Amino acid sequence: MESKSIMRIKALRQAAAVVVIACVLAVGTNFLRQNGIPFVGDWSTDVRFSDDSGQSLVISLKKASRMYAESEAVFVDARPEYQYDQGHIKGAVSLPWQKVNERFMEVAGNLEGEKTIICYCNGENCELSHELALFLSDMGFEDVRVLVNGWTVWRRAGLAIQKKEKKDLDNV
Amino acid sequence: MGAVFLYASYNKILHPQAFAEAVYNYQILPDAAVNAAALALPFIEMVAGLCLIAGVWLPGAAMVVALLMVVFTTALIFNQIRGLDVHCGCFSTQALHGPASLWTVARDFCFLVLSVYLLVRTVVFPIS
Repeated sequence: MESKSIMRIKALRQAAAVVVIACVLAVGTNFLRQNGIPFVGDWSTDVRFSDDSGQSLVISLKKASRMYAESEAVFVDARPEYQYDQGHIKGAVSLPWQKVNERFMEVAGNLEGEKTIICYCNGENCELSHELALFLSDMGFEDVRVLVNGWTVWRRAGLAIQKKEKKDLDNV
Repeated sequence: MGAVFLYASYNKILHPQAFAEAVYNYQILPDAAVNAAALALPFIEMVAGLCLIAGVWLPGAAMVVALLMVVFTTALIFNQIRGLDVHCGCFSTQALHGPASLWTVARDFCFLVLSVYLLVRTVVFPIS
């Protein structure tokens, strides 16, 4: 019968072998496949929030706020509805990414026209606005942008916000 | 546990870029290590899962699975405490499945307990 220490060394060797085999498979597959990714990626904001052709969708707060002031853009809140209810950019339309398929037709009318669509959510790494922007582009909207960490930067800049009235919240 | 790991690896292997984004969003690894981890992790899950199902290298596979569950559960709890609204990336790379929640942590914790039990029965106190 093998002693426990021998068993543990054997287990460690097997574990190392599992990892090595997996890494070889990972490298080989990534090398052969069409949608392989580089081993070291570029995670800058412009690259992360880009469209399928690699074009950055990012809009600066300065430009977004100017367009807001001149009514040149419509803002779309990609966060869940309860977060929108707690507070959002004044006049923004709620289109939660998690419910985009069921809510899209409802809000599509508000998005049509010549205006730029600016999607936002909350957090530097929040992907909801990016996913929503790509979806809206696929739906045929031509000028769709992402205001990264939109809710936080907008609020911190002291720009116009609003929240759902308490009586409205009570009726939800 | 083998089937769980095999199932978990499937979607991530199919969509490496989407899984790399999920790993990045955890904000735990340095940027330079994100892609390498996103490439290797699903294959480690797959090989370990296959070993568990086939009964090959059981102690080693149990060790890998337990270690991965410790890492995954810790990362989830860490981000829940930090309040980061990140997508789990556990079984699917699609953000439509919603952000990780306490339920996700509870589910991972159950898998963690199972994997530790597996480790104990195969390595610490093996069935002779």
